[in-house]
Amino acid sequence: MIQRILTLFCLGGLLSLSPLSAEANVLEENNCGSCHRLSSEDTDKTFSGPDLYYAGNKFQPEWLREFLKEPTVVRPAGFITDPGFLQGASENLDPHPSFPDEKANVLTKSLLGLKISEQTPVVRNALSKGQRAKIKYQFERTFGCISCHQSLNLAGKVRGGISGPSLVNAGNRLQADWIASWLQKPETYMSKSRMPLYKMESDTQNLFVQFLMTLKKENIK
Amino acid sequence: MIRNSKIILAGIAAVWVGLGGCGQNPEKQSAVQLKPPIQQEVEETRPQFSQPVLATVTEKTRKNYQWYCAQCHGIEGKGDGINAKLLTVPPRNHTKASYLETRTNEQLFEAIKFGGLSVGRAPCMPAWGHTLDEESIHSLVQYIRELCQCEAL
Repeated sequence: MIQRILTLFCLGGLLSLSPLSAEANVLEENNCGSCHRLSSEDTDKTFSGPDLYYAGNKFQPEWLREFLKEPTVVRPAGFITDPGFLQGASENLDPHPSFPDEKANVLTKSLLGLKISEQTPVVRNALSKGQRAKIKYQFERTFGCISCHQSLNLAGKVRGGISGPSLVNAGNRLQADWIASWLQKPETYMSKSRMPLYKMESDTQNLFVQFLMTLKKENIK
Repeated sequence: MIRNSKIILAGIAAVWVGLGGCGQNPEKQSAVQLKPPIQQEVEETRPQFSQPVLATVTEKTRKNYQWYCAQCHGIEGKGDGINAKLLTVPPRNHTKASYLETRTNEQLFEAIKFGGLSVGRAPCMPAWGHTLDEESIHSLVQYIRELCQCEAL
């Protein structure tokens, strides 16, 4: 009898808790944590995918949802922790799992809840044609970004290196404030990246972020 | 008796497998073997330099090279990193003495610190001056000298 009451009690407890914990643990349930760092405190392990504990700062919701449904390649050479990264052996990498619509929505919601307080607000002004040309020149020549990052040239063709994440769709993928914050203090997001540190004037940085936000896959010709 | 010989065979097989495992990456191994004599060479020629900073190649130098430079210049410095084929100007092959002996250590230092454009070379090479301190850059210059097995003429 007592056992039965206890069992009922436990079941009741599980039932009342499960909807809540399912929401909170949806990322763990789907094994996101086996490849991605989901908490900034989880510092001792090396993960095979990019950190997601600041996913809510970094990604645009619509991109995240689409990515989870139909993953696209962001890092053509793999992530920097892949043993084959410098060998260019990315074809051996497992593709990112894809999720049905409803699951993708739930995961997106959970991911957007992962935030840190760091932010660098960007002044949003549309770039003039001249500014765009100037920043594009800086992207390719002054700062050499194109050596490691793919972007779009004037003819709308994909150009650039592959050791860094592709920026061809940066304008749909990333939040402007996050790009500014990354340029200013990358160590907030990655203890040691392979990208050089830049000390840009804040005006230049602002224009730079605006430029990156114009890079969208729709513009590929 | 048969059992004993089986154990011995198994032992031999284990050793053989172990050796095979080490030999899987012959390039890496030869690179390790090459290090000591070249490093000695750097030590010996150092007094003839006019370079103000006495930089040595350390484990940290090699790690920096692999972490940052190898993306374009390749794991062995042959100019064949994963970005190499996608750049408009191919990254320098650091094992090519015929070119590197025409560059002074100061020019190499400036190219790393301020980027390719600063020394009249390709803009593809970004400036690393905010990422690496001067000592690290001086030691990378020495590492390039080790890779090309050459000095400035």
